[in-house]
Amino acid sequence: MARMKFLCDADRCIECNACVTACKNEHDVPWGINRRRVVTINDGKPGERSVSMACMHCTDAPCAAVCPVNCFYTTADAVVLHSKDLCIGCGYCFYACPFGAPQYPRVGNFGSRGKMDKCTYCAGGPEADLTQAEYVKYGANRLAEGKLPICAEMCSTKALLAGDGKIIAEIYKERVTRRGYGSGAWGWKTAYKETVAI
Amino acid sequence: MLIKRRDAAARSPRLQAVAAGLASGALDRRTFLKRSGLTAGGVVAIGASLGSVRKAEAIAAHDHSKSAERKMNMCTHCSVGCSIVGEVQNGVWVGQEPAWDSPINRGTHCAKGAASRELVFGDRRLKYPLKLVNGQWQRISWDQAINEVGDKMMEIRGKSGADSVYMLGSAKFTNEAAYLFRKFGAFWGTNSVDHQARICHSTTVAGVANTWGYGAQTNSYNDIRKAKTIVFMGSNAAEAHPVSLQHILTGKETNRANVIVFDPRFTRTAAHATEFVRFRGGTDIAVIWGMMWHIFQNGWEDKEFIRQRVDGMEQIRAEVAKWTPDEVQRVTGIPGEQLKKVAETFAKQRPSTFIWCMGGTQHTVGTANVRAYCNLLLATGNVGAEGTGANIFRGHTNVQGATDLGLDIGTLPLYYGLVEGGWRHWARVWGVPYDYFVSRFDEVPAKGGRPARTAKQNMETPGIPSTRWFDAVTHKPDDVDQKDNVKAMFVFGHGGNTIPRMPDSVKALEMLDLLVVADPHPTTFAALSNRKNGTYLLPICTNFETDGSRTASNRSIQWGEKFVEPIFESKDDYETLYLLAKKLGFADQMFKNYKMVGNKPVPEDILREINRGGFSTGYSGQSPERIKAHMANQGKFDVVTLRAPANEASIGGDYYGLPWPCWGKPEIKHPGTHILYNTNLHVKDGGGTFRARFGVVREEKQADGTARQVSMLADGSFSQGSALTDGYPEFTFGLFKKLGWDSDLTAAEVEQITAIGGNNPDTVGWATDLSGGIIRVCLDKGVLPYGNAKARAVAYNLPDPVPVHREPIYTPRTDLVAKYPTRPDGRQFRMANIGETFQKRALEQGVAKQFPIILTSGRLVEYEGGGEETRSNKWLAELQQDMFVEINPADASERNIRDGQFVWVSGPEGNARARVKALVTERVGKGVAFMPFHFAGWFQGADQRGNYPKGTDPIVLGESVNTVTTYGYDPVTGMHEGKVTLCQIRAA
Amino acid sequence: MKMAINALRALTFALALAVLGQAAPVAAQQAPNPTAQSVKEEQLLNALRGGDAVAGRITIPDRTAASLIQPEGKSFRDFHQGSLWLIGGVSILGMLALLVAFYGTRGRITIDAGFSGRTVTRFGGFERFVHWLTAGCFVILALSGLNLTFGKALVAPVFGDAAFAALAGWGKIAHNYLSFPFMLGVALMFLVWVKDNIPSKLDVEWLKAGGGILKKGQHPPAPRFNAGQKAIFWIVIIGGVAMSISGWYLLFPFESGHTVGDQQFWLNVHAVVAMIFIAVMLAHAYIGSVGMEGAFDAMGSGEVDENWAKEHHSLWLAKEKQRAGATPPNAVPAE
Repeated sequence: MARMKFLCDADRCIECNACVTACKNEHDVPWGINRRRVVTINDGKPGERSVSMACMHCTDAPCAAVCPVNCFYTTADAVVLHSKDLCIGCGYCFYACPFGAPQYPRVGNFGSRGKMDKCTYCAGGPEADLTQAEYVKYGANRLAEGKLPICAEMCSTKALLAGDGKIIAEIYKERVTRRGYGSGAWGWKTAYKETVAI
Repeated sequence: MLIKRRDAAARSPRLQAVAAGLASGALDRRTFLKRSGLTAGGVVAIGASLGSVRKAEAIAAHDHSKSAERKMNMCTHCSVGCSIVGEVQNGVWVGQEPAWDSPINRGTHCAKGAASRELVFGDRRLKYPLKLVNGQWQRISWDQAINEVGDKMMEIRGKSGADSVYMLGSAKFTNEAAYLFRKFGAFWGTNSVDHQARICHSTTVAGVANTWGYGAQTNSYNDIRKAKTIVFMGSNAAEAHPVSLQHILTGKETNRANVIVFDPRFTRTAAHATEFVRFRGGTDIAVIWGMMWHIFQNGWEDKEFIRQRVDGMEQIRAEVAKWTPDEVQRVTGIPGEQLKKVAETFAKQRPSTFIWCMGGTQHTVGTANVRAYCNLLLATGNVGAEGTGANIFRGHTNVQGATDLGLDIGTLPLYYGLVEGGWRHWARVWGVPYDYFVSRFDEVPAKGGRPARTAKQNMETPGIPSTRWFDAVTHKPDDVDQKDNVKAMFVFGHGGNTIPRMPDSVKALEMLDLLVVADPHPTTFAALSNRKNGTYLLPICTNFETDGSRTASNRSIQWGEKFVEPIFESKDDYETLYLLAKKLGFADQMFKNYKMVGNKPVPEDILREINRGGFSTGYSGQSPERIKAHMANQGKFDVVTLRAPANEASIGGDYYGLPWPCWGKPEIKHPGTHILYNTNLHVKDGGGTFRARFGVVREEKQADGTARQVSMLADGSFSQGSALTDGYPEFTFGLFKKLGWDSDLTAAEVEQITAIGGNNPDTVGWATDLSGGIIRVCLDKGVLPYGNAKARAVAYNLPDPVPVHREPIYTPRTDLVAKYPTRPDGRQFRMANIGETFQKRALEQGVAKQFPIILTSGRLVEYEGGGEETRSNKWLAELQQDMFVEINPADASERNIRDGQFVWVSGPEGNARARVKALVTERVGKGVAFMPFHFAGWFQGADQRGNYPKGTDPIVLGESVNTVTTYGYDPVTGMHEGKVTLCQIRAA
Repeated sequence: MKMAINALRALTFALALAVLGQAAPVAAQQAPNPTAQSVKEEQLLNALRGGDAVAGRITIPDRTAASLIQPEGKSFRDFHQGSLWLIGGVSILGMLALLVAFYGTRGRITIDAGFSGRTVTRFGGFERFVHWLTAGCFVILALSGLNLTFGKALVAPVFGDAAFAALAGWGKIAHNYLSFPFMLGVALMFLVWVKDNIPSKLDVEWLKAGGGILKKGQHPPAPRFNAGQKAIFWIVIIGGVAMSISGWYLLFPFESGHTVGDQQFWLNVHAVVAMIFIAVMLAHAYIGSVGMEGAFDAMGSGEVDENWAKEHHSLWLAKEKQRAGATPPNAVPAE
């Protein structure tokens, strides 16, 4: 089985936000929930870089470790998913996540955040694949259709890569070698405890 | 169910209310999903509370357990021409998939493209025709709307004349709708038919066409992959044309290409450049001449190219000599060494391409800027080959096509001039007597000391540019050179906040007798003023609800399929124009060449008519069948050359989208022209030469006072396989006879030429020969029908034939005005253009002291144009919720302005001011402020949300930058000054 | 607490300091090469301290979203799954062990003089209401809170994930809503009992005597509240306030723009204080019920036996009697 990962090549990312709206479109994600977002570092200064970030589907995911109700599970493709039936909306995963991935439909006043929502790597949830129940709770299941996450597929400059970690690391490595520079595989060290050695 | 994060709402209660509104009332159908208590889910079709509106289909979005129909159309938000693949279930657009096969976008999108589906189930669309009655919006039927609008138009025509109805069309039209709209203007009897190209690349079209023949991007987005040096000047492609960056960044990486960005602002594009050159806005000519100073000084120019293919470069050289590094630095702020480095890179590390956008065009010297850019390309031999060229990135999905098809106050479709020959050409194509059109135009009485015009003279006089429509309403009748002032605005798909001097347009809106807005959204036009009566809103569907072709910036034509039927009561442009034409009494004649399905003409038939008449620009070979074959075989085109393998059935050897010129009739299967003026190819492979558009010889005064004849034809340069191995003029039947080529024409072709020519068939040229014979034979002979000339470094017919630097009207550098004043006052396009008066007044009043900050404007990636459509799109609106002004930290601290607080930005005219949020950033230099221009709905601090018809207000509203922008118009096209004015900023 | 200090520091770490110069004004400038000067992830991560995040600018209003990578999440996880278990385990199990050991050696502390049969009112109705309001909330808060930390290891295997998640869900709701009466209770306790809980010299003596509970027959004099009870009072007040403040931030996480780092910090404070609080309250509950004969009545009926009062709160009893106006039979304070 593949070990699915995301890699954002910040030297290509132009903060066009296609990944964000593609995700909203694909899963009909409501206002206020941002399964994916683009953060710009050094905004307005030379050296500015933008990075598209969502759940990185960590190795030994911290969200799963701190979840008090074991609602997370990792698929055979190493995608970290969760069950909204089990989730109690406590917010611990948000505290543990280095990437700010968990989102809540409400803001947590009086603790009523609602069920956590996050990037599913377009892989749905625990419900049966491609069912309406799965779609309504988690959004589309592109992996089950043999497709990759829509954010990466629609990335305007092909900055955001999704797929088997080894393959996307190769692509990135090749790019860096060819062009002679690279700002790094953002988040890899934190998420996968490894980085793409050039 | 939309849920708003409280923290956002806390700081933006206005928006919270809006977001809450989304989840209530008519939209309650969404709440059925609430029962899940979960976050994902949605509804596609629109609610049942709308009476006769299309029946609600409250189904949850995309049912993945069932298959969906795949359809293809284009993104409407810029000119890159990204294909969009829609998945349709039960007549509802339920999903978007990457369009992998498109050689243009290869599956990708920007935020806008990826959010396109929202446009077709957006709750904020106009749902049915509305009429403003005593300040209240009243729902009316289409019949009533068409009847009342038609009656009012006839009444205005009777009282004030045809020219009093201003027809503002759209770059969002399909080619067919744009053409139909221009044709509608001709049948109505006015040349005041304009669209967004006026405020976008009108100066480009004028400048480029006057240099080498055609007003369009010479190469393509894809071709930039081959460039070794890529210069952006006044273009922030990363935000305005994001998908183009795919090709540019790939080129940058694979070729280790130099990417040089000239901009007053450190843009997102600059962030990916290898060199960023900050300069003072409005000094483009000084910058270019400064680069060319180094080029000429060091002999880096391409001498052979200039000798063979450029006319008048010596005169440029003389002007350039004045621009020493010191003077350039004094005027532009660019250090001499940096500019020298950049000039050397551009001249030596070839192929080099030059990309510009609104930063170059939206100036009082817009056309001159463009010609300076062209001169840089010509001097370095960077035109007409792979990886080179003037890569002009246009702004709307079909702004190129709409320009080509004549939504322009100065041309007929496909750049046939407003001259008798042009009118007769189209009258022939349309099958309507020429005299009919003459009869439709007003006779203009003598006014203001100007002579009267006959109807024929009036029909050959350019109309009023869209940048001045409000002046044509409010100015004294004597000042407006037509029968009467503008009394009615007829706006099809155009924002009301994209043109400077909005306080003046508010006044004009309130004076209009009739305002018709035909658009998917009410637009700023509907909400901006305090009109009480006489406004009609006609709901028009988006391009996803209709069929038709569109021309991307690189001249490729793509066919878009209708995804779903028009939602609500909306209609497409074709049907709306038909209903109006019928009401006005000329539908039978206007639509007689088209098959009608109900009230809708078949767009394929309209395109076929365009093909029949579109020889001048090579719009003749792109039959609907050929374009559709391209769409069906997208994957077979090469991503760099855009060419399909020769052995492919039906598309073999074609360039993707048959980029114009696609010579001759479709049957001769010209492949289209990927790169203009490319002498390295045979014309049958898309090769070309510079166009012989301006005559064969010119007179040049010698020092001794005598005149000398200078040939303007190419010198020893020709396209591959050409039967003529030197320059040659454009071809006419007469020239054919001289060359003995008339024998290659068929009898039928000669017969048609003779019929067209009447008494003088020798004058029938390649462009008016409806038989296509002259072009066919030219292709066989390997020559370009339009001739083979030199490009003109000097455009003798324009103001400032050699471009000269002129300070913006509102310049902070008052010390430079005496040496570089703006052009003298004059009259163009039926209006006075008194920039000089404004500049003098500003100097006298010390405006630069009171308003010390340069204000410039530009795009955000999430929004487009006036932004009504994109600000109504919840997926996009969420990403940019506030109008802002970028201000340098030094300027902010001088004014005690904190990041995120509200400030007043005030402009130098009419106490105009705008209340926006401050974004303190080093992105802009000290003394420079930037505002995006997509916002509207607040006007000088007042929230106008209540002015929109209920439920159609965009989610995000904000002040328009054009509330504070100012006077200034390019003399060649009427382009406004949108990029340099002055302002003051104070904490609110 | 390193984490606390780090977390409290401004978390939106201005990364500008990393490498780059200032954008030049229009007129005079360098020739920057934006590609060559690009920020590198590694460089930014290396520059991070403690709970800082690699952060930037984002256009959506959710400011927490501007934090790109906050490796501190890992420390939170380590703390939450490691140290916290240790702290909780040691304090709670340790306290239980201590109490068992105490019970084993000392047994139940009886009233030396036996029940007199006469009672004196120790706590009025309102006071008992306040106590039980707070205590009741505390018990549920403690159980539901402990459940979030230990439940998945201890309870989930028994009930299964689904039932456990439902239970935990209800527990969370209870936890969130009962926090308000609990906070009210702590506030009322403070108002009602603070005047009797000001530490005094007597407390030192009382403590020196080990509170009289270590050895049978020893009864150091004490006013209404002895030093032990005062300690409990102040632990409840301080602990309650700590729980309230930290809990408040967790209840309203984004109201005043708190970052993830802040939330991690407050959750850790909440959890650690809770563990110690629970341990102490176990001791309090023990001594107030099985640990001491007659003690429960104080909060039960509110009426305590005179002999119990004499032995444990002699000064108070004397005062009570005086206040009642009746001269007691043996007016000499029991010393």
